[in-house]
Amino acid sequence: MRKNKLFLVGLLMLIMSVVLLGCNSDASGNSDDGNSNGGSDDGKYKIATVVKLSGVAWFDRMEEGVDKFGEDTGHETFQQGPQQADAAQQVQIIEDLIAQQVDAITVVPFSAEALEPVLKKARDAGIVVISHEADGMENVDFNIEAFNNSDYGKFLMDNLAAAMGEEGEYMTTVGSLTSNSHMEWVQSAHQHQLDNYPNMTAVVTEVETGDDLNTASEKFRETLKAHPDLKGFQGSASTDAPGAALAIEELGLEGQISVVGTSVPSVSGQYIENGSINAITFWDPADAAYAMNTLAVMILDGKKDEIQTGLDLGIKGYDSLTVKDGKYIYGNAYVKVDKDNLDEYNF
Amino acid sequence: MKRILKTNEFYITIVLVLLIFYIGSQNSTFFSINNWFDLIRSGIVPGIFVIGTLLVLISGGIDVSFPAIAAFSMYTTTSIITSLDFDVPVIFAFVIGALIGLFLGFINSIFIAFLKLPTLIVTLGTASIYSGFLLTFIDDGQITRLPEAMTNLSKTRIFEITTDYGTIGIPVVFLITVAIAVLGWFLLKYTMIGRSIYALGGDEVSAERMGISSVKIKVFVYCFVGTLAGIAGVIHTIMTRNSNASDLLGGELLIIAAVVLGGARITGGHGTIYGSLIALLLILIIQNSLILLGIPSYWQRFVIGALILIGTGLSAIQVKRSLEKRNPIMTE
Repeated sequence: MRKNKLFLVGLLMLIMSVVLLGCNSDASGNSDDGNSNGGSDDGKYKIATVVKLSGVAWFDRMEEGVDKFGEDTGHETFQQGPQQADAAQQVQIIEDLIAQQVDAITVVPFSAEALEPVLKKARDAGIVVISHEADGMENVDFNIEAFNNSDYGKFLMDNLAAAMGEEGEYMTTVGSLTSNSHMEWVQSAHQHQLDNYPNMTAVVTEVETGDDLNTASEKFRETLKAHPDLKGFQGSASTDAPGAALAIEELGLEGQISVVGTSVPSVSGQYIENGSINAITFWDPADAAYAMNTLAVMILDGKKDEIQTGLDLGIKGYDSLTVKDGKYIYGNAYVKVDKDNLDEYNF
Repeated sequence: MKRILKTNEFYITIVLVLLIFYIGSQNSTFFSINNWFDLIRSGIVPGIFVIGTLLVLISGGIDVSFPAIAAFSMYTTTSIITSLDFDVPVIFAFVIGALIGLFLGFINSIFIAFLKLPTLIVTLGTASIYSGFLLTFIDDGQITRLPEAMTNLSKTRIFEITTDYGTIGIPVVFLITVAIAVLGWFLLKYTMIGRSIYALGGDEVSAERMGISSVKIKVFVYCFVGTLAGIAGVIHTIMTRNSNASDLLGGELLIIAAVVLGGARITGGHGTIYGSLIALLLILIIQNSLILLGIPSYWQRFVIGALILIGTGLSAIQVKRSLEKRNPIMTE
């Protein structure tokens, strides 16, 4: 019995050491960068990007932008995110980053309200904070949006209306009711529809999908039962439109119900090809990350005064920024993808 | 008759019937065949989780790592098959998924059965390790184009009917859930192992004095749950035609709530397959009828939260009562 236990302890130690070794090799890669760059003394900074959720195509693409910025500029940049869509875990990650004394944090908040206190703490510790998809956030140096959310909502609605022939019942979904940007798109789209497309009706709005494809699919099926004349679907999270499209394909209703939404080509591609999604719209998250990191470095270099309306960050869609209230920045970087230009995007 | 009146299953069934008639009276679409097919569809993966969780609760433990095990084996299995150059039959996916689940469940049981650590703490830890390992070491993306064999299975349905709302049917993978439920029922009711699981959860010391090996039973339970989770993960990926490493995580609370609502006790020794499945159906109906009832999305969160609170609260009161009844016997 005792021998058995010793063996088990040995086995466990082995497993642990393998895991730790793995972590080490990962961490040492980072610290090498840090050493060669020598901290902030020679103008090289350590910038962390915190995202809503790791493991989804959208934020994987964002990480490409984070890494590219690091390669282009020599600053130490890296991305972290919780494994579940959970505001508390995001707070925890930022707490850790404050303890690590990074120079700047760029963040895509899961819930803006939940992050205000910890971001205040970060700024009090002298860390530059840039947020994205959190218009109106208080405790940040700047919040940057790829576009004005209400303009984007109108853009989504114009696409949906075109697909539906400007008439019929439609529904809208959001990833989470606490996600400010999703709510603004949906509300602005709804208002735009009321103003310009009188023959369309929103039957169910702001259905919460939890950024989960299966939930989006089930909610769509349920709405279709409650409203059999449903003709349109507008999704917000990147899994919403493919979720609806999966249900449409299974029901054999391709072409009868129009689907548009924010998504990425890798997730929605197969449904755009078979016609169950009409169009997806998005902004390139890699460019957004690049823009956030550029802003962070400008502030760290003491060039905060230069961040004003008309600023050109040298990134497509971010070449003529609008700055509102000295804090809220907007680009004009939205992209629409349908059958015709699907092959131009690889993420 | 008196015995039936005392069971949770009895009350849950009554609540379920009342609920069905209430929702149906508000929106008659609820009784349509589409709706029942959709309910069955959404119960396929949770149904398997519920059977596994029930076994763990009966044995006196708790397992919160099964969604992580499911996500791990689903993603790893899909990656393995995608990386193969040749087409393999879909049964291969289930075998790999089940084996990975079995292995991860076995790791749980090392800590729980041999080292005798508290089950909640062990599985909280391993859940984090499994999903962390998956996201950092294997890959953190999602596979959006499944191998052909898996896509084909996702398109295979039984009882296909064409209605006004489109072609509906029950995914063929539903049969796996049915088979697992029957297996679980048979195991718990008619096998030595099943009865030992009840005995162990009822009172570990007494069970050991009766000659039941608590180590063997615990190893069996956690390996079984792991295997089921592995299979459920593969089914999830087939049904959504997408393998997302961060799917399923966070779903454990609703499953545990369903099992507890169905009469299983957190303290172990009690619980039936029927009760758990009925309670799962109740939760699924509530989750999937809020739009039919026209409840705005802000209220949906509230309603689901209230349901979990009431369900687990009722069961907790019951446990307290039964413990009070037990005390005099022990002092005599």
